[in-house]
Amino acid sequence: MSVKYVPVQWNPNKYVYDAVLLASVVLYIFVFLELGTAAADVTQPINGAIVRMRAFGSCAFLMLSVILAIGPLARLDRRFLPLLYNRRHFGVMTFAVALTHAVYVLGWYFAFSPTDPLVALLTANTAYGQVLGFPFEVLGIAALLVLAILAATSHDFWLSFLSPPLWKALHLLIYPAYAAAVAHVALGYLQDATNPAFALLFGGAVLTVGALHLAAWLRAPAEPTTADDWVMAGDAGDIPDGRAIVVRISPTERAAVFRNGRTLSAVSNACAHQNGPLGEGRIVYGCITCPWHGFQYRPEDGCSPAPFTEKVPTYDLKLEGRTVLVRRTAHPPGTRVEPTPLPEDVA
Amino acid sequence: MNDAGDRSEPFFIGWAKAPTGLRPFLIGVGLCLVVLFGGVGFIAAATQADPGSGRGGRGETAIGVLTYDPYPLLYVTESERYPTGHTLLLSGNAKFGVQDRASALDGRLVQVSGGPVARGDLDMLRLRNGPDGLSLVEGAPATPEVPEPVPLGRWRLTGEICDGQCYGGAMRPGTGLAHRACANLCLIGGVPPVFVSTQAVAGEEFLLLADAEGGPVTDAVLDHVAMLVDVEGEVERRGDLLVFRIDPASLQVAP
Repeated sequence: MSVKYVPVQWNPNKYVYDAVLLASVVLYIFVFLELGTAAADVTQPINGAIVRMRAFGSCAFLMLSVILAIGPLARLDRRFLPLLYNRRHFGVMTFAVALTHAVYVLGWYFAFSPTDPLVALLTANTAYGQVLGFPFEVLGIAALLVLAILAATSHDFWLSFLSPPLWKALHLLIYPAYAAAVAHVALGYLQDATNPAFALLFGGAVLTVGALHLAAWLRAPAEPTTADDWVMAGDAGDIPDGRAIVVRISPTERAAVFRNGRTLSAVSNACAHQNGPLGEGRIVYGCITCPWHGFQYRPEDGCSPAPFTEKVPTYDLKLEGRTVLVRRTAHPPGTRVEPTPLPEDVA
Repeated sequence: MNDAGDRSEPFFIGWAKAPTGLRPFLIGVGLCLVVLFGGVGFIAAATQADPGSGRGGRGETAIGVLTYDPYPLLYVTESERYPTGHTLLLSGNAKFGVQDRASALDGRLVQVSGGPVARGDLDMLRLRNGPDGLSLVEGAPATPEVPEPVPLGRWRLTGEICDGQCYGGAMRPGTGLAHRACANLCLIGGVPPVFVSTQAVAGEEFLLLADAEGGPVTDAVLDHVAMLVDVEGEVERRGDLLVFRIDPASLQVAP
């Protein structure tokens, strides 16, 4: 949380995160260039520029696959939430690695000809009507452009400037970008790979990303069946102190019902920062704390403590016996709602 | 709704110290990530396909008769490297042909100099720029005869259309779909296209491509470069080089 914009809000966790990330990338490139290529069974050595473009390209694809796996992993097992915390840096680094791949491609395959490399990139192969032989480079360009936009806007300034819903929608472009990257590899390098190992690695990465998203989606809260203005959230006794249960109150909206000692309060499940799942957070120092980036809100009014200014919508609650009900209609962000006392037998 | 989870589960907050109970797990995840990247990097690199036997070499010089159609060729009459009567494909440096320099020298005795590339039956010389790379041999008593083409019949062949320079070893690999745009650029620049057949034809595995009339065929094959295709045409021998005079309309992706 911050009251002013700085390039990077460094903290010890981010240092460790970036160090592990950088070590992984450096190791990948070193192993690919120096150890793996030396072990390849070749009659004549593969051109250095081609080895480098393959190293950076495959590394970027692996990074992108890991990035997309983090979200559903964190949803399925909360111990993975720390990986999500600094995912922006992961994304920016992925863009840098992908850009390096593109520079090598441009400087080798598309250089040394009478045509300007950038013009050649778009004109050397125009067989858009073919599947086999499709100009797969344009798919890579599309993915790279999206990564560039996402990297450039991976900052709280842009999040605030664009508003969280628009920023979030923009960053969901990572999925079409991944699809484009998958097609880029499938229609390009994969077609020339004679050893099944690369196909297994590539297919394994894509299937893992898909399976994790499916599993996380299947665990999402079900749609409420009642059309009533009040939606059943669950048994008050099922909410541990300092934690929440999440209830879906419309196709696009979820509320998080938190227990704070002997009272209950409900706020929007979407954090005002990046729409992180507040209901998977905790009450820390009396404030609901987002599991993604630690943004905090008071349970009773959804306001961040001063000097911070973030606010989330709040909801009315009522109890029918031990059953907690949430009113569908949200209050404007920051509206105070008197906390609901827990039933005696629960409290 | 979802369950609230285990109450004792450690909770990570980015700006706070990582919970003690979560540290072993996070250290394990970090190590797994490093091992994953190292392992995938090794496997992806070690299983790269063999780019073939094509290779380049130091500068070579040869004297011979230049022919212009369908692409510039040299019938060697004198060389330390190449036997007399051998046919060399000619291209320029990088992704350039030598049509502009060769057009005025069709049928003349010339001296060529440049970097060789060689793969199997294919020999190409990438000529130096200017007269250092290609020049008329002045004062030669007579220009030797170029062998007449020998028809070898009509063939339907399966294989890959490549640019002769990259296939020959200027790029390794210089074949396949990942290399397709590069091959197209070479061909557009004037590098001779070759057909690498899956079956030997009269003992040869690569054939220089031409159109049905024996002229250049580059524009007609660009959409079929770097993939396995079937194509039909007349094969003829010119010296020790096979020329495949294809009917571009018969080009199709091999099943």
